[in-house]
Order: sequence, then C-alpha cells, then structure tokens
Amino acid sequence: MDKTSSFSIHEGKPIRCKAALCRKAGEALVIEEIQVDPPQAYEVRIKILCTSLCHTDVTFWKIDSGPLARFPRILGHEAVGLVESIGEHVDGFKQGDVVLPVFHPNCEECKDCKSSKSNWCARFANDFISNTRRYGMASRFKDSTGEDIYHFLFVSSFSEYTVVDIAHLVKISPDIPVEKAALLSCGVSTGVGAAWKVANVEEGSTIAVFGLGAVGLAVAEGARLRGAGKIIGVDLNPDKFELGKKFGFTDFVNPTLCGEKKVSEVIREMTGGGVDYSFECVGLPSLLTEAFISTRTGSGKTVMLGMGKHSVPVSLGSFDLLSGRTICGSLFGGLKSKLDIPVPVDHYLKKELNLDSFITHELKFQEINKAFELLEEGKSLRCIIWMDK
Amino acid sequence: MENGNSSGDKSSLKPIRCKAAVSRKAGEPLVMEEIMVAPPQSHEVRIRIICTALCHSDITFWKLQVPPACFPRILGHEAIGVVESVGENVDEVVEGDTVLPTFMPDCGDCVDCKSPKSNLCSKFPFKVSPWMPRYENSSRFTDLNGNTLFHFLNVSSFSEYTVLDVANVVKIDSSIPPSRACLLSCGVSTGVGAAWKTAQVEQGSTVVIFGLGSIGLAVAEGARLCGASRIIGVDINAAKFEVGQKFGITEFVNSMTCENKRVSEVINEMTGGGADYCFECVGSSALVQEAYACCRKGWGKTITLGVDKPGSQICLNSSDVLHNGKTLMGSLFGGLKAKSHIPLLLKRYMSKELELDKFVTHEMKFEDINDAFQLLIDGKCIRCVLWMG
Repeated sequence: MDKTSSFSIHEGKPIRCKAALCRKAGEALVIEEIQVDPPQAYEVRIKILCTSLCHTDVTFWKIDSGPLARFPRILGHEAVGLVESIGEHVDGFKQGDVVLPVFHPNCEECKDCKSSKSNWCARFANDFISNTRRYGMASRFKDSTGEDIYHFLFVSSFSEYTVVDIAHLVKISPDIPVEKAALLSCGVSTGVGAAWKVANVEEGSTIAVFGLGAVGLAVAEGARLRGAGKIIGVDLNPDKFELGKKFGFTDFVNPTLCGEKKVSEVIREMTGGGVDYSFECVGLPSLLTEAFISTRTGSGKTVMLGMGKHSVPVSLGSFDLLSGRTICGSLFGGLKSKLDIPVPVDHYLKKELNLDSFITHELKFQEINKAFELLEEGKSLRCIIWMDK
Repeated sequence: MENGNSSGDKSSLKPIRCKAAVSRKAGEPLVMEEIMVAPPQSHEVRIRIICTALCHSDITFWKLQVPPACFPRILGHEAIGVVESVGENVDEVVEGDTVLPTFMPDCGDCVDCKSPKSNLCSKFPFKVSPWMPRYENSSRFTDLNGNTLFHFLNVSSFSEYTVLDVANVVKIDSSIPPSRACLLSCGVSTGVGAAWKTAQVEQGSTVVIFGLGSIGLAVAEGARLCGASRIIGVDINAAKFEVGQKFGITEFVNSMTCENKRVSEVINEMTGGGADYCFECVGSSALVQEAYACCRKGWGKTITLGVDKPGSQICLNSSDVLHNGKTLMGSLFGGLKAKSHIPLLLKRYMSKELELDKFVTHEMKFEDINDAFQLLIDGKCIRCVLWMG
C-alpha cells in the first residue's frame, strides 16, 4: 500500500490496495485486496482520504434484480482525495491536488455545460450505468482473481484508490478540513444547491422540507443562509426535530400525529395558504404529491431531490398544477460541480455555512458496515469513514 | 329587487330590464329572454356590454351536467363594456368608463396580489361559482318570473347588462376598437401571458404548442413577440396549420399522422433533444405527458394552460422527474395580473406590436349566439365576437 508522500512510484502502473466490495445485494461489504489500473486519457487516479455513506449507496446496495444489480461492485460516491497520477489530456489537475469526485458530470464542453441555465450535461448525464465515461464497460478495478469489478456512479469511493473521469472531478482549496469537504461531494451540495440555485429561495420565504436526512437538513441550511422566514421540517422520526433546530428549522410536522388531516393541509394552515417552496428529500412519490400541494397556489414551487425506487409513477392533480404551481427535479442541487463547489467551500471557510453538524460519526475503513447499520437505523447523518486511520 | 346601499346617493339606482342569452339546460341552445339586473352593491359595478366573445370554457360549462355546472346560468366571460353605475366604495371607475371584465380577480390588497410572483388573488380564490364573489350566495340576475339566474366566472357577459365586483374590472382606453380589446379579457391574454410571463420565452427559443385553438394561437403570438425562432404547432386538425402560419407558427406536426411514433419522439427528433418550451393548450393529461416528454432535458419547461376535467391527474415517472432537470408549471390567465398587465398588452396592440385582428374570424349579432356556439364546436372559428344591439 502506498503510504509514502511521493506519488511517482506507481505512476503508469497498477496499484494494489484495499477496497470494500459489494458481492451480493444487501449483504455486508467485504474488505479485499484489489488492483487499480492507471488512469487512461481524461482520467485521474486518486487516493481517497475519507468517504461518507449516502442513502443512495444504500438504495443501490439493496437492488437485487434488473440491470442495476451488478456484482461485485465498489460503492461509495461521497468522498475527498488527493490526485495520485493523471492520464493524458488532463489539464487542471496535478499530483497532490485535493479533489472531490462528484457523481454528476460536468464535461464543460457540451451545450448544457456551456449554458448557465442548468447543470445538465448532455454529453454524459444520460448514462449512469457504464463503468467509465469514455471507455464504456471497461473497468479500472480487478479483484484478487483478476475479475473485473463494477464501478459505481463514476466514483467508487469505498476503495483506497479509485479512477475518475475529469468530468467528475473538482479541485478544491486545501484549507478546508477534508472531512468537511467530502460532504460537499454529494449530500450537502445537493441540499444547499437546491435552495440556492434550483429554488432560489429569497429572504422571508417560507419553505417545507420533507425528509430530514442529510439532504433535507442541507436544504434548510441553504435556506437559512438566504434568510428564509419559516423553515418547516416534516419527518416520521421525532428525534430529527431536535437535530433540525441546529439547521435553522423553525417548525416541525410529524405525519403520524396529524390525525385525519394530510400533512399538506396542516402546512397550508400553518402558513396561511401554503409555503413558497417545498423540497422532497426522501424519494417517495406519494410524499412528492404532498409536497406539491403544500405550496401556495399562484407561485408555489416544488423541488424533488430524493432518489427512491427507480421509475415509479408520480401523480399530480391537473388543477393543482394549473393553479400556478411549478415542479422540477434536480440532481446535485442544480450545481455545476467545477464552477459551483468552490462557493460553499468558501462559505464554510468564512464560517457562514455549517458543515460540522452533519458529521455524527467517524469510523475506520474496516468498520464500514457499521455506517450502513447506523444510517438504516436512522441514528446517523453522515458517518465519515477514514482510509488511513 | 334588493338594494343594499344605505347612502341616499346610490338608492336611486334601479334594476334594469334587458336582454340576455340564458343557458337553461346543459347542451341546449341558449334562450334569448328579458331579465332583470339588480343595481350594484358596495364594491360592485354595473356595466353595459358592448360586445362579447365566445371562449371554449363557456362551451365546457354549457355542456357539463354536473357541478360546478349549474342552470339556469348566464355564461360568457370575455367582453368589453361601459360602466353604467357604481355601488358604494368604488373609486377605480366612474360611470362612462370603458372597462374589461376579467374572470380572474385582482383585489390589489392581499399577499398574493401584492407579490410579483403570483396572479392568484387569495382574497377571492379562483373557483367556478354561481354567485357574486364578495357576498355569500348572492346573484344580481333574475328572470321575469323572479327566479335567480346564476353567474359565471364573476363576469356573465352574455347579457346586455351585468354586474361585476370591482376586483374583476379593468379600466381601459376607450379608443381601442372593442372587438379587439375584448379578446384581452381572457383568451389572448392567457396565451400571450403564458409565453411572456409564465414561461418567459427568450429570443431564439424553440417552442412547441400542443393544441391550436385560440389559446394555442395566442401562445404563438406571445412567443413571436418574445423572439422565439421556432414555433412548432401540434394539432389533430390539419386545417389549423394554414391558420397557424398567420400566427408565426413555423412548423407543424399532425399528431394523427405520426405513424408508429409518439408525437414526443417526432418532436425530440426535430429539435435535437427537445424544445426549450412546450405549451399544452388542450386540457388533457395524456397530452401534458407528451409535452413533458419532448421538452429539453436540463432546462426545458412544460407549461400547462388547458383545463382538464375536475379531478384529473397527471402521471409522471419519478426517475424522469428527478433526473432530467425539466420543469413543469401550470398557470391560469397566463400568469397575468389583470389590472397591471392588460393595459400593457393593450399598449402593445396600439403600437402595432401585438396583433389582435387575426383572432377575430367572425362578428355577429348577439341574437345569433347559438350560431357562434356551433362554429366553435365545429372548430370553424377562432374568435366570434357578438355585438350587443
């Protein structure tokens, strides 16, 4: 294993290191020795410093059938690392750079990447299944028997080393503590971005957040920074309410305590007609419908962020929509990773953005399965898994 | 007739006996009869209609046999008139003023009327009601047997005289030709507003319009004014295509002749991935779904304007909503605030930017109103303007 400070030793050669492999749906990950090939053109091999568990990892970990059930696989997509070596045609990254791998692509060359209107990347965003961006199903990982290992969301951070396409990598300031930075590679950026970029929450707005996991709390944090007036949190778990206060929530609604009323009715009553913005951060179609009618007619906007079961139907009332409402979904909070990630980094360094409160546990890489348990039991927000400790 | 005003000034106002086209039974020809129109109460205005136009929503509620349809009723909501008398507490208009009645209330006072983001007044929430908006179960119309006649959409313009709440009245410049100005009291404003205000179509955009009735054609007019470079019209009636050309429609898709392809597939091909803006101007969930499928990933917006059956639902795929970054929005009256925006549109007509003449395909006498119904049902007209005697 590479523990020396000089990276040039392995340049151009495969690296042997440890990774947590998922070999069967829903079963504990197994730490094994693997081989990580050198980066090809437009790729970067990075040494992961720490990674965190996001609920999307859990969702995919459980899929046992269909084209998304692939084994063995290296999960993980929220992390921070150092550039170990770069492939050909890689500008802007050099050995030793602190980088965030990001699951959402930003090629910087297509019509969408060049437009400020969205964070879609026409070149890459349609495919979330291939192993590598430019080489299809070619994998950079091999297990100890020489078998290819599937990548995950073009990141695969549950490994001491991984290979990432430049469209999925952002260089960040070395000033931010790495475990805080890792949060910005997925969950917190998604939530904060949704409030800032997708909804564009303005001062005095009222918002409702459905699902108080890391993404939901990050939405509140983003809304708080924009001066939102009322931030209502909706969750089945009352423990989340105490925690939520740290993130700027002003009110809470527990759907199990609403009696005959629907959550949306309760919210409309609390706000004299509905919130300006609602955010669905769980991934449940029925909840999305509730979030939709919790907003004010004439101006309400709903943002869908939660990733649940794939391709299930969502039902919206025609007249509810016609009455001046808007709904949109967003991946990665509408952020263009390369342009926008430095912004929350900067806010953190200026002590404006709270990232510390998201980290509830820290574990060693060997303890990675504990992170899964804690998240499933609703006992954690973000577990930081350290590679070197 | 009751006259609820206490001031001596207004107690001289008497009921007026005049002609109206009364809808007495669902789907049956309107009956031209004499009715009594009570004086305006506090915050109300009685107007003499100059001319009125037929809109598809009148047909919808004429045919409907279940609530919110009700009979006997005075339909009609697109019109222009002159103030005959005012009730107490009316400062905005005086006798002799030329006004447009608008079905969308604009009280100017509530949180939503004061917000630039919304056009849905919360003081008078939009609903299809049989009554005057401000007073519980109150009608100003009776037939000669003393039976109550129901109002429609706060306007009821199929009558020589009608009574409106001041929230539903917009004072306009009397020099504007009435048969053109009346169009802005509903249909044309809805379409133009949808392009201009709701969608905010920008120069060079690609726009698709599903349904080339008056609303769809008005969207085309609005898109043209906004500088759209491609305006694709979709309809099942090929006759609409020739008409559409006058409204700036650049290409046509007949959804009946797409062979084995869905309309959305055809449009995605024509536009290299989807339009910037899609407008649904029919009122069908299936069509809304098609429209959503062919607006561009990343920044595409689909706007619904068509009114579907009460209780209808739009069904989307959760993964599509989350992943593809599209926005779905609905609006009533094109997102316009009647009192602020109608005068702006009228100015644009007077300066020859907004074209209204091409919408008026027929001008008839009020007595021939049933012929106008038939023309619209048969798809043989855009706007029929009916002149009072």
